[in-house]
Amino acid sequence: MTRIKRGYIARRRRRKIRLFASSFRGAHSRLTRTITQQKIRALVSSHRDRDKQKRDFRRLWITRINAVIRETRVSYSYSQLIHDLYKRQLLLNRKILAQIAISNRNCLYLISNEIRRKEVDWKEYTEKI
Amino acid sequence: QKALAGLRRIDLDGLRWRVFDAKGQVLGRLASHISTVVQGKDKPTYVPNRDEGDMCVVINAKDVCVTGRKMTDKFYRWHTGQVQDVNLILLLYIVVASWSWYIGHLKERNLKDQLAKDPTEVIRKAVLRMLPRNKLRDDRDRKLRIFAGSEHPFVDRPLEHYAMPPRQVREMRPRAKRAMIRAQKKAEQQEQDETNTKKGKRRNKVESILEI
Repeated sequence: MTRIKRGYIARRRRRKIRLFASSFRGAHSRLTRTITQQKIRALVSSHRDRDKQKRDFRRLWITRINAVIRETRVSYSYSQLIHDLYKRQLLLNRKILAQIAISNRNCLYLISNEIRRKEVDWKEYTEKI
Repeated sequence: QKALAGLRRIDLDGLRWRVFDAKGQVLGRLASHISTVVQGKDKPTYVPNRDEGDMCVVINAKDVCVTGRKMTDKFYRWHTGQVQDVNLILLLYIVVASWSWYIGHLKERNLKDQLAKDPTEVIRKAVLRMLPRNKLRDDRDRKLRIFAGSEHPFVDRPLEHYAMPPRQVREMRPRAKRAMIRAQKKAEQQEQDETNTKKGKRRNKVESILEI
């Protein structure tokens, strides 16, 4: 058999991977073998964390809403707010509520007062329907 | 001097200074509120990767209360054993309670003794153990300033008092309630007996003078 060199095939493949890991720290962007490993790890964690991201942000929104709601000092809490929201069939999601909480706190207080106050009226409302 | 110690390390001074009065507060319930404030969890701009809690000043740490038999039965334990000094052995004899089958290097200390020795450590341990164990824990520890008395060197700053939410005391169990009523009746009867006798009258007069 004639002699066949591998040529530039491996180098082309590794160049792409090296480009991917070009901003990593230390040896993780310089040494070929560690670059391939780190690329795999990076992709795995990004895949996993894309689903986790949805969970994490929901947690963050809930914490922030809780913080603002508890400042009214009437022993009101996030759980009670959500219960009232569902009772009154108000379809605001936590992301929007958290944004309201940060930017325009009084608006959130208005909403919560509206929801809490009309407990008697709600029964009449459902009876009408 | 220690109180002003690490203040330079804390960068952001958009933080408020909250004052907690520990007088008559239950230890754990107070500590949970302090930990939420120190983490910054009562702000709508809470971010879990940065530490933006307010500075917490706790005063009257020696008047913190505890329910049940925890004054005598709650122990702070720690393990020594690396250093072999004469001092350690002396401490063992002085500090350890009557039960001396804790041989070796486990030392423990009563709540009562700890309050007598260093009352700030009680609240500090309680709060530290309620904070999440991550890299921000030490920074949060630096934001806690605890004082045994009611004087603190931060009087110039704009301080905000923290109003603790009212405590829901659980109703006493029937047996305990009956025992308490019996004890009260006994005390009342004893007072009545004393007022009836002559000696009691003199004692009452002396007591009233002292009260004034």
